[in-house]
Amino acid sequence: MNILISYSWLKDYVKTSASPEEIARLLSLHAFSVEKIISQGKDDIFEIEITPNRGDALSVLGIARELKAILPMQGKSADWLAKFPAKAAKGEDKYNLAVEIKDKSLVPRFSAVVLDNIKIKPSPETIQRRLEAVGTRALNNVIDITNYLMFDKGQPMHAFDYDKILGAKMIMRESRQGEKLTTLDGVERTLPAGVIVIEDGEGRLIDLCGIMGAKNSEVDENTKRVLLFVQVYDPVRIRKSSMALGHRTEAALRFEKGVDFEGVVPALWEAVSFLQQEAGACVASKLIDIVNVKIEPKKVAVDYGRINQVAGVEIKKEIVDKILQNLGFVFNGTSVIVPSWRQGDIEIAEDLAEEVIRLYGYDNLPNNLLTGEVPRQIVEPIFQTENKARLYLKHQGFFECYTKSAVSQALAGEGAVKIANPLNEDFVYLKTSLIPSLVGVLEKNQGYNEKIKIFELASVYLQKKNDLPEQPLRLSLASRGLDYLEFKGIVEGLMRELGVACDFAIQELGDQVLGVELDFEAIAKGAGQVKAYVPISTFNSIKEDLTLVVPPGVAYEKINQVIANADKRVKKLEFKDIYKNFLTLAIEYHDSAKQVSSEQAQEIRKNIFEQLDKKLGVKLKT
Amino acid sequence: MELKDILSQFKDDLKKIDSLDALELMRFKYVGKKSLIAEALEEIAKLSIEEKKALGKKINEAKQEIKEKINELQAGLSGAKSESAQDLFYKTLPGKKPAAGHLHIISQAIEEIVDIFKPLGFTRVRHPEIDWEHFAFEALNIPSTHPARDEWETFFIDALPDKKYGRQVITPHTSNGQVHEMLRGQLPIRMLGISRCGRRQEDINHLQTFFQFEGLAVDKGINITHLKGTLDYFAKNFFGPGRETRLRPYDFRFTEPSFEVDINCGLCLGKGCKFCKEGWVELGGAGMVHPNVLRAGKIDPNIYTGFAFGFGVERTYMMKSGTKIDDIRHLLNNDLRFLEQF
Repeated sequence: MNILISYSWLKDYVKTSASPEEIARLLSLHAFSVEKIISQGKDDIFEIEITPNRGDALSVLGIARELKAILPMQGKSADWLAKFPAKAAKGEDKYNLAVEIKDKSLVPRFSAVVLDNIKIKPSPETIQRRLEAVGTRALNNVIDITNYLMFDKGQPMHAFDYDKILGAKMIMRESRQGEKLTTLDGVERTLPAGVIVIEDGEGRLIDLCGIMGAKNSEVDENTKRVLLFVQVYDPVRIRKSSMALGHRTEAALRFEKGVDFEGVVPALWEAVSFLQQEAGACVASKLIDIVNVKIEPKKVAVDYGRINQVAGVEIKKEIVDKILQNLGFVFNGTSVIVPSWRQGDIEIAEDLAEEVIRLYGYDNLPNNLLTGEVPRQIVEPIFQTENKARLYLKHQGFFECYTKSAVSQALAGEGAVKIANPLNEDFVYLKTSLIPSLVGVLEKNQGYNEKIKIFELASVYLQKKNDLPEQPLRLSLASRGLDYLEFKGIVEGLMRELGVACDFAIQELGDQVLGVELDFEAIAKGAGQVKAYVPISTFNSIKEDLTLVVPPGVAYEKINQVIANADKRVKKLEFKDIYKNFLTLAIEYHDSAKQVSSEQAQEIRKNIFEQLDKKLGVKLKT
Repeated sequence: MELKDILSQFKDDLKKIDSLDALELMRFKYVGKKSLIAEALEEIAKLSIEEKKALGKKINEAKQEIKEKINELQAGLSGAKSESAQDLFYKTLPGKKPAAGHLHIISQAIEEIVDIFKPLGFTRVRHPEIDWEHFAFEALNIPSTHPARDEWETFFIDALPDKKYGRQVITPHTSNGQVHEMLRGQLPIRMLGISRCGRRQEDINHLQTFFQFEGLAVDKGINITHLKGTLDYFAKNFFGPGRETRLRPYDFRFTEPSFEVDINCGLCLGKGCKFCKEGWVELGGAGMVHPNVLRAGKIDPNIYTGFAFGFGVERTYMMKSGTKIDDIRHLLNNDLRFLEQF
């Protein structure tokens, strides 16, 4: 997710000589991509893309922590302006809150405190200006301070009007399917089951936890008492609920990435301190701090060898140590203790290697090519056959097309595999044939030319019971305006080019449209065989044309067979022409042992005619 | 007349000739029976034997030269005569076009990519487009709570899930091939997987069907410098010598460390312009293979390491300087007026 961070706000934490441009460049190279710098009056606002694993960086504090580690490595000053954490404020224990948590896993940490004597008014100008710079509207001092601290520390927090929590009781639980609640933005939302909610003593839902507060418990201009509410929620539930409701708030986006478990109470006291100053607040209850999950500090061994192995260069131990310390890791023997804000993200030696090397600088590493053993795998010949087929068709004037893997219901083949969650109706059923899409392409391009030739080489998807669909590669050709034999000749030519003989069926698809779909895997299996040399004969062939009268019901293939089998000296036989039922063939007689004489040719011819007449009733045209 | 005068006069005369008839007269004048050359030959009869020999040779050479020049001009003049104005125009016409087909830009891009990685020992492979959730996510160290697993981006197939491998998906990236490749059990690996993928997205930058190319190298001693070198080699060969790449830290579950690979903008070459981010544009993701992914592929991460990268074929091709394709959807529209341009 992208966040907005103000340069001047960062300076609350880090004093540096680095310019906004330098900060942007160095953050991009060593931590997070700065997408742009927005100039805003005297300030500069960075728009930064934070990767999902780095919830800890979704705040000014988080980015400042990174800069504290990055800048010194790049020769820039970075003095940490350590602010002392706000102290726990004392007060009377006048107000109670009964808390019932139905399932501890909902809320690993629950903290709250009641504040009395609240005076609602606009917040000070600095706070208003900073909120507006990062795109949040200022409302009043209480709400602005909770928002401000979320942007500052990355800890979302909520303020309830204490008097609107009826019965001074909270029951935190998962929602039941169909429960309703109106959120602060005035939208009534119907909840699915499993959303974290709070019910008050009168059975009303008063919070859509971690996402947005409810209207019925909001702080308004009459509010006198506030319940300041700072939590760590189960990230998975927050994410699921927020997605299901289609309501992605700044709070939800932070909670779902995990917030710093140890940051909860300090953030609460920081807010209290602000509210004391800006709203006249007095602490009026005990601090409620319920820890439902025990989190042990995480230790990871520092493996210097591994770090150098991953980097491919030697990074000195002192540099490794310094980088880790600057990032907040604390050395404990040969291990480091992971800072509380990185608990979810650092697990193994490779994670530490990444931290060290990114700060060392990827641009400081050399560019090398792989060395070592020759890989054993050799390329499958099908790819070469694909290229050959493509080139052949291109030179026959074909346009290569790529169509989508799936089609609409109207174009779906029988038994087509269906997509469970289509985006739109054009992409629902996986293709069982390439032809319908290619016919669509021909239709769309009707005006282009009288003759159009196109092809596609792609998988189709065929349903298989209890298994992935079969995904065989097909080569399909389609044309408009081509004569049948012209089209057939191209397919035959392709087979010759690839050195295979495969059966195929040309489909007549109406209005001068022809198509053929070939099993490309079968073709590739047969293709590419080494061609054996046949010695070139020193004797000449005798070539002649024969015109035959073909009676109805005879296929060309039969004639071909009969002639070829009539005499072994028939070397070549090719279709030359057809007029009505007069078929002209070009024929060659040849004998590799001796020259065929004209007498012998006559003899062969006679034999052919006899056989044709006897077997097929085909006669010589006289 | 002296021989050299004859030759110089001949040259002057020749320039004035503009017809075959005039040329015939020239022939008589210089090399005929009563020509200037014949006269010159007669003259030498008076000379001594040595002189005869020397001068005779020269005269004969001059005669030969004159004859050649005349023949040359004759050929030129007669050619001009037989070729009519119409014929001359005919030859200026464009040649008859052989059937001109076109390979799709995606095929051209794939071929270029394959050719660049081939000399580095990367072998082209293809993995299933419809695959198990396991290979697309789980084996890649992406647990079910990760954003990429959400229905919002991945297409699921309407079929019963498998007990071991989960649901069927249209693979949203070619990284599903990583563990398939490892499970073949042949090390070292240098794979270039190019396949179709699918995602629930469609706009000027996204297609529901698109191609990715995935590089995977697994061997002993592979480190980041190898990834950097390989990507730089690719970028320089694919985009041109003026282009540079850089690695930026990123987060992918299946690599550690993870990077995004940027290339300096083809328009401003890194100075920064409105089409890029501070001089850089994003090519795709890369990283060192996560130990859990190696384990899923039955490879011991204590012995082997590897790198992987995955880029969109169409997107990468569009970043080439000069293609000027402003909307990725043109690629699957199959408008022949578009296809004929490549």
